[in-house]
Amino acid sequence: MDTFIQLTLNGLTLGSVYALIALGYSLVYGILKLLNFAHGDVFMVGSYVGYGALQALGGSANPKVPLWLLLVLITLAAMVACALLGVAIERFAYRPLRNAPRIAPLISALGVSFFLAYSVQLMFGAQQRDYDAFSLGEGTLFFSGFDIGNVRIPLLRIIIIVSAFVLMVALWLLVTKTRIGKAMRATSYDREAAAMMGINIDRVIVFAFVLGSALAGAAGVMFALRAPTAATIGFIAGLKGFTAAVIGGIGSIPGAMAGGLILGLAEAFTQGYISTRWSDLLVFVLLITFMLFRPQGLFGKPDIKKV
Amino acid sequence: MKRAIVLALGTLGAMLMASTAVAQPTAVAATGTQQAVVSCKSTLKIALVTPLTGGAGFLGNAQLSWAKYAVKTLAPKYKLKVRLITGDTPVEQGPAPAQALAQKYVADKTVMAVIGPATSGAVAATSQTYFKAGLAHISPSATRTSLTQGAVKEATPAFFRVVGGDYIQGPSDAKFMVEKLKVTKVAIIDFQEPYSVGLADAAQSYLKAKGVSVTRESTSVKTTDFSSLVTKVPNDAQIVFFPTQQPEDAQTFGQQLLEQGKRAKVFGGDGSNSPDKFKLAGSYVSNFAPDISGFAYNKALIAGWKKANPKSGLESFGPPTYGAVQVALNAMSKACAKGKGTIKDRRDVVRSVKSIRVKNWILGGDFRFSTRTNDPLNARFYIFQIQSNGSYKLVG
Repeated sequence: MDTFIQLTLNGLTLGSVYALIALGYSLVYGILKLLNFAHGDVFMVGSYVGYGALQALGGSANPKVPLWLLLVLITLAAMVACALLGVAIERFAYRPLRNAPRIAPLISALGVSFFLAYSVQLMFGAQQRDYDAFSLGEGTLFFSGFDIGNVRIPLLRIIIIVSAFVLMVALWLLVTKTRIGKAMRATSYDREAAAMMGINIDRVIVFAFVLGSALAGAAGVMFALRAPTAATIGFIAGLKGFTAAVIGGIGSIPGAMAGGLILGLAEAFTQGYISTRWSDLLVFVLLITFMLFRPQGLFGKPDIKKV
Repeated sequence: MKRAIVLALGTLGAMLMASTAVAQPTAVAATGTQQAVVSCKSTLKIALVTPLTGGAGFLGNAQLSWAKYAVKTLAPKYKLKVRLITGDTPVEQGPAPAQALAQKYVADKTVMAVIGPATSGAVAATSQTYFKAGLAHISPSATRTSLTQGAVKEATPAFFRVVGGDYIQGPSDAKFMVEKLKVTKVAIIDFQEPYSVGLADAAQSYLKAKGVSVTRESTSVKTTDFSSLVTKVPNDAQIVFFPTQQPEDAQTFGQQLLEQGKRAKVFGGDGSNSPDKFKLAGSYVSNFAPDISGFAYNKALIAGWKKANPKSGLESFGPPTYGAVQVALNAMSKACAKGKGTIKDRRDVVRSVKSIRVKNWILGGDFRFSTRTNDPLNARFYIFQIQSNGSYKLVG
């Protein structure tokens, strides 16, 4: 039982990060019908910005501000930087290709992905960057928390899962309850009709990139608080986020959340009960299975064409 | 949507296939070994083949700093003009970059020796190419046993290494666990790449032979969150043998062990020997050499290197590279003497390597190769325990 609880905890932690990445894919796909393969690298940049902010605030050994404020500040820094990066990517890599054949922005997305990964590697070197969250507050994040049976639920995991959930709910409220959210939904439904109704499509698209990239930035910090980051982590993280989005139904916000958590749990249980060797394979088996048998995902709606 | 996703996956697949196609070596280039006579007064080249980028980039950059210093300070002593060229082999890309570089260096007749490849997988993938061209390749860090020993050797007679192999490291680490730490249960985790699997196998064989209970797990080199692996470590395991090439991974793994309340200590191989990055008190690491600053004759050498690299620490992967360059230069010098100021055939360099002897070897004692294999004679590994202040204390 303890193993099951521990693996569930591992899966929820991992799944929260995947869900945040998947939301970025879903937002952009929902509006632009574009698979933004650079999104994983935006996540990576977020983890680097968080690292830089942490160092600017004194590092994990001697932080200049209280622990809670430090976590908030580094997450905000990553979210803001990634939001700006998202705007730049949209402006320079996708907008000029908005009316081009579908393959063109897809290739541009892959190009941006490599550009970001190798630029970060050139600027900051190949070595991994470790937040050393273990030293923060003399191990508070790892050793305080509560117990379920013999399993410790550390504070850091609670923070990651709760923060991710809060961000997801905030996004859902924004999309369903606000004016800009309504504009996003309208654009997603029919871009041309939305434009004719007076919606500024460019603004909506930029806003989708801002939101998606900011969530990726937050995910980057959450990930890097638990494991070292490197310039090369974006591609696989992006593929997993993409898979989570497909599982949930790409374009669907609740679907992205559910897909991320399902993927995280599936990965953790495979690692724990079968073999670590099979966990990445499982991710892509899930992707193919959904593509074959339920391409609209769990929460998506099937494409219906008027004939 | 389905069409868009299929299109995306198709594009990704095409890119992967294209990258694989580029990686395939051509037999013609590999066997194009006609020799040009090269004057020893001209600028000769030594190529360093190592991961300068990617997850193991720290290793390659440490090697590069020592290779540069060795060429700069030693080449004039051998009356040679030498230019160091570098080839990047990120471990994440497998053997393909090393194969492409091997073709390039074989074709360049002024390349007289290769320092590397740094990793065992890259050596196995390129040694035939170097051998056919008669090009000596001397690795400062490839430790897989089967490169030089066993019924089926993966490397050729043109391959040499200046550090001991896993045939020493694996058993000596395991012996330390059995005799000093009195272990009864050990978990071993490998990273599904040649260095890690070879070292894990060597340690596992010894431990099992001594009646120690061993559990074995594998993960990918790209894994950075080990939570679920940690969950699988038995609660009563005393040691987790963790042969990674990325010391940050060993640090993270150790922290996640503590997070989940496991009492096992991490035991890393030479790949995790980095006091800046793996500093979890109580953990163990092995390495080719004790701290090189412990040898009085290295004092001036270390001072000179530190002057050239003021921001770098004495990483474990760097010093053997200095030794490898020293062996290569020495062999080139001998080949020049034999050819009366010319190198008529790069095989003359290969032939000279085996006979090289170095007094006051940077890693301690005197250096020479074994007469039976192309491994260093009397190589050994040292074991350190990490102290609460992060320093490494020699314990075995």
